[in-house]
Amino acid sequence: MIKRFFVWAISPMGRIAVVIAGMFVFSLAAFGIYQTQQNPNPQPIQFPHNLHVGLGIQCLYCHPGASKGPSAGLPTISKCWGCHQQIAKTQTSPKLKPMLDAMNNGTNFVWAPVAKVPEFVHFNHRPHIAAGLNCENCHGDMTKVTIAENPQVMNMGWCLNCHRERAGDDEAKLIKLTDCGTCHY
Amino acid sequence: MTVDLNKLHAVGAIAEEAEGKWGMVIDMDLCTGCQACVAACAMENNIPYVEEVDAGYGRSMHWIRTERFWEGEYPEVKMSAYQPMLCQQCGKAPCEPVCPAFATVHSQAEQINLQVYNRCVGTRYCANNCPYQVRSFNWRDYQDSRVRPEITILANQFNPDVTVRRRGVMEKCTFCIQRIHKAQDKAKSEGREVEDGEFTTACAQACPANAITFGRIDHPESLVAQLARSPRAEHHLEELGTLPRVTYLKEG
Amino acid sequence: MSKQISRRDFLKLATAGAATTAVLTGCGPTSRFVSREPYLKMPEYTYNGMSTYYATTCRECAAACGLVVRTMQGRAIKVEGNANNPVNLGKTCARGQATLQGLYNPDRVENPVKQARGAQLSQETLDWNAAIQIVSDALKNTKPSEIAFLMGMAPDHLFDLVSDLAKAIGAPAPIRFGALGMFEARATLSKAAEDLFGKASMPFFDLENADVVISFGSNFLETWLSPVALTRGFAKMRRGNPERRGYFVQFEARMSQTASKADEWIPLRPGTESLVALALGRLIAEAKGGSLPPAFASVDPLTAAADAGVQLEVLERLAQALVKANRPLVIPGGAALGQSNGLAVAESVLALNALLGNFGLPGGVFISPLAPAQDAYHRPASAKEMTDFIAKMKNGGVKVLFVHGVNPVFELPKHLGFAEALAAVPQVISFATFPDETALASDYIFPDHHGLESWGYQRAVVSAKPVLSGAQPVVTPYFNTRATADVFLAAAALAGGKFAEALPFADEVAFIQSKLTQLVGEEGFFTAPEINSFTAYFQQYGGWWTSDPALATPSAANAIAKRFTPAAAEFAGEGEFFFLPFVSPTLGEAGANKPWLQELADPTTTVMWNTWVEMNPVTAHELGIENDDIVEIVSEAGSVEAPVYLYPAIRPDVIAMPFGQGHTAYGRFASGRGANPADVLGSHFNEAGDLAFAGMKVAVKKTGKTKVLSRLESRIGVYGEGLEKE
Repeated sequence: MIKRFFVWAISPMGRIAVVIAGMFVFSLAAFGIYQTQQNPNPQPIQFPHNLHVGLGIQCLYCHPGASKGPSAGLPTISKCWGCHQQIAKTQTSPKLKPMLDAMNNGTNFVWAPVAKVPEFVHFNHRPHIAAGLNCENCHGDMTKVTIAENPQVMNMGWCLNCHRERAGDDEAKLIKLTDCGTCHY
Repeated sequence: MTVDLNKLHAVGAIAEEAEGKWGMVIDMDLCTGCQACVAACAMENNIPYVEEVDAGYGRSMHWIRTERFWEGEYPEVKMSAYQPMLCQQCGKAPCEPVCPAFATVHSQAEQINLQVYNRCVGTRYCANNCPYQVRSFNWRDYQDSRVRPEITILANQFNPDVTVRRRGVMEKCTFCIQRIHKAQDKAKSEGREVEDGEFTTACAQACPANAITFGRIDHPESLVAQLARSPRAEHHLEELGTLPRVTYLKEG
Repeated sequence: MSKQISRRDFLKLATAGAATTAVLTGCGPTSRFVSREPYLKMPEYTYNGMSTYYATTCRECAAACGLVVRTMQGRAIKVEGNANNPVNLGKTCARGQATLQGLYNPDRVENPVKQARGAQLSQETLDWNAAIQIVSDALKNTKPSEIAFLMGMAPDHLFDLVSDLAKAIGAPAPIRFGALGMFEARATLSKAAEDLFGKASMPFFDLENADVVISFGSNFLETWLSPVALTRGFAKMRRGNPERRGYFVQFEARMSQTASKADEWIPLRPGTESLVALALGRLIAEAKGGSLPPAFASVDPLTAAADAGVQLEVLERLAQALVKANRPLVIPGGAALGQSNGLAVAESVLALNALLGNFGLPGGVFISPLAPAQDAYHRPASAKEMTDFIAKMKNGGVKVLFVHGVNPVFELPKHLGFAEALAAVPQVISFATFPDETALASDYIFPDHHGLESWGYQRAVVSAKPVLSGAQPVVTPYFNTRATADVFLAAAALAGGKFAEALPFADEVAFIQSKLTQLVGEEGFFTAPEINSFTAYFQQYGGWWTSDPALATPSAANAIAKRFTPAAAEFAGEGEFFFLPFVSPTLGEAGANKPWLQELADPTTTVMWNTWVEMNPVTAHELGIENDDIVEIVSEAGSVEAPVYLYPAIRPDVIAMPFGQGHTAYGRFASGRGANPADVLGSHFNEAGDLAFAGMKVAVKKTGKTKVLSRLESRIGVYGEGLEKE
């Protein structure tokens, strides 16, 4: 059996097949290594989403752009301060010290975006919210995480699955939602 | 013999014979060749400049250009009217069926020709097959600050609504699809249809002579549709059966 | 495994694997390392990812077009026209579009520097307090009569501020200059209006309502006065009336971009424009019958036509067309005025209009209204006045020179010796935004903001309605620059005494408000009862203008009664070619440092990124010159080298060359590129003092060198042909 494989493998077709298989394995390995080496930038602070959502703060309070336009937006430090200046613990908690320092020094947090798409994809939050999607449909349950995590790989297949599902039998809607030009331009 | 391209699995490549959705009318009697449209297009669509040597090789990346032709010799010399030439967004586009990567496809939703940058592998078949010579190819990483240090600061001006293309990618006029989307999104959020003249392309917006009009060619009462019915109207290379969506108005 | 994998095979495999990896993983990891820094304090009216629009005024030329600039997250990303502004009604030209590449230009003066007249931009930075101290000392410790201010044609608010300062301290009034003003021959137009209408002013040609237009060399579709307004006017003239298409004829030795839009382009011998205008007048007067007006009595149409190299029948036909026209209009301009008899050209054309009876009628000639908050029409300095100023500098009459918004080392003919005169001035302080030639030849550069980062206002030159176009910063300053007005205000406050009294304003905005106060309560596009709401509207709408046109009608009597002595222009120099420099339609006077303006194809020749010499193919072949051969153009004043472009639509005895390139400084995109036709211009002026830039005769010498011009029109060179010559 093994011998037969070797015989086949040195035939012209066999060589090509082996090369292709080798390339496939090699690229899988390279892809895997690439994935592990590409850590996103660390977040500046371990922002506890669960705590804030648990307090009943709406997503749109800090990310108001989501209902209005393409980008949900990140809150400015002055927005944090709006609530936190009322809280005594702000002055004493070691965990809140980075925010206090930032406020006093006039510096800012530089966030590492979590849910992101490549630059050739033009995502717009507004129509998704208008279509009745909730934040957690894509971004996961924020009551369960501290810093935001992506519950799924945001790739084109994932987008299109949902688009096809939502379009249902509506032909015009399906055309619009699966058109290349809807996201890529 | 006619070939049904749909049977050749080129579905989506050539999709329509109807009049189209978006259209443009360019009045050549008014065009003064001033290049305002070219500059406006470059600023809106993050088009790279290629500098002198590459420009000499014919690699400049204008999505729209003004053509002019000479007739006769001095003193009987005449210059044709300036013809702003841009992607004609053909209903039957010669560029579409030749793309092996399906990177240039017909948008069924907007009925224009799309160039999907992330699919493009740079075969340049489409440019070779375009009778209007309106596709331009990124021969280098013109917009990469590692290649061109000045991009670091010039990039502040880039339009975030338009992808910055990299080397090896074909590109062309998109009828300012980002503006189409923005207007449609705004109209939808206000629960209405997009009105005629509510938005326009960057070239039409800049044109000091008002030579360019853009809008819904399929709405008979829209300005662009009215102008397209002018007795001066003509289509470039119409005989090729490309069904161009850009109508030119002759002089006279 | 009997067969070993050779090294070669391994490399093949590795390469293929890497390529597959690249395909599988997308094009690159760029998007993985994005970081997002939110606003420290986000303005309340903004949302991330959504644009904010600000109205301001374009500073690429002095025409005062209104802009609305799209900004996002504090960056300016697109220029659009301000639809409310009567000058441009929402339209822009290419230079206006590319102003963003000036704002985000890699070669700006980033800090105040002690330049010390070095060849390169100095790295010796100062802080702004030191800079203000230097300006203050210069103002205080110099005899007022030995202080000089040299200002550009824009912005007007700074000119007003400096004028007030100069007046209060007894210094000479600031001098205003710009290459566009020089090539437009504004002094000539103003002098012609003074001679014929009794008052120095800018004549207004109502292009949009005319139906037959004849232009003598006026390049109004390119750079002349207010190209966007005039292009709009042209479009209305051509197609505005559904009943009748406007007819347009251009007399010019070379088919310029403007002439290329004409129904008839009539090449005439340079210098014969006034003869042709008077001959047309005589033919019209004869056709109309009655007594011959004195203006046209002494011209003989037959000799005039012969001199000009035009068929008499052509002139007779045009005369008929003008007589039959409902709204005929004749426009002078461009190179026709930049000749030894330029004033006669302007006046004979005005006389021709007077004969046609179009003064004060739609489609006719008017006197431009004064702009809001303007006391009288101030034209920029003519080249003659600049020559006098240069002499004063050379004789030690100027001890301190402040320069803002103008680059005379590049713009004035080298022959006039501005650079040498500048060396004779003990202290030169430049406020240049870009490291241009004049800035580098200064002791200090205290950089002003870019126009899009600045406050200000600008008065419209060509507008039926008086327009004061307002400017406001659309982005915060990108570099450590400061508004020149603020520098002068701070320096004056520091100097104390009469200086502080002359400018008692906290900042630039307070000064601008002091000028706007007189418009409070005036009827106009908006009316505001007090200054704060006026300023708010002024910013919101991008300026203030009246609701109705305020054109004045000139008197035709003087124009027709003036006796002209018909004579062709005189040309300086010995060469066999008339030299016709023109301002590049795409680059203008200061566009060379913007890469996209360089990349725009010239409308008529389609050349990019360089300077060319236009030559008739027949003449060129006689001289054995081909496309791309570099020739030397020699005049009595100097010489310049540039490649030839065989231009089919130019008289065989004329060569033409665009102005705009040939910088020795001004950043990476401009420096060392092309040639400057001003290098061959001499010191000859017309009667009004404007430079006779089109009044030279030059010789053309082959150099044996070639330089391939990059042009859009042909794909030559793609596969190697045409690039190298055997």
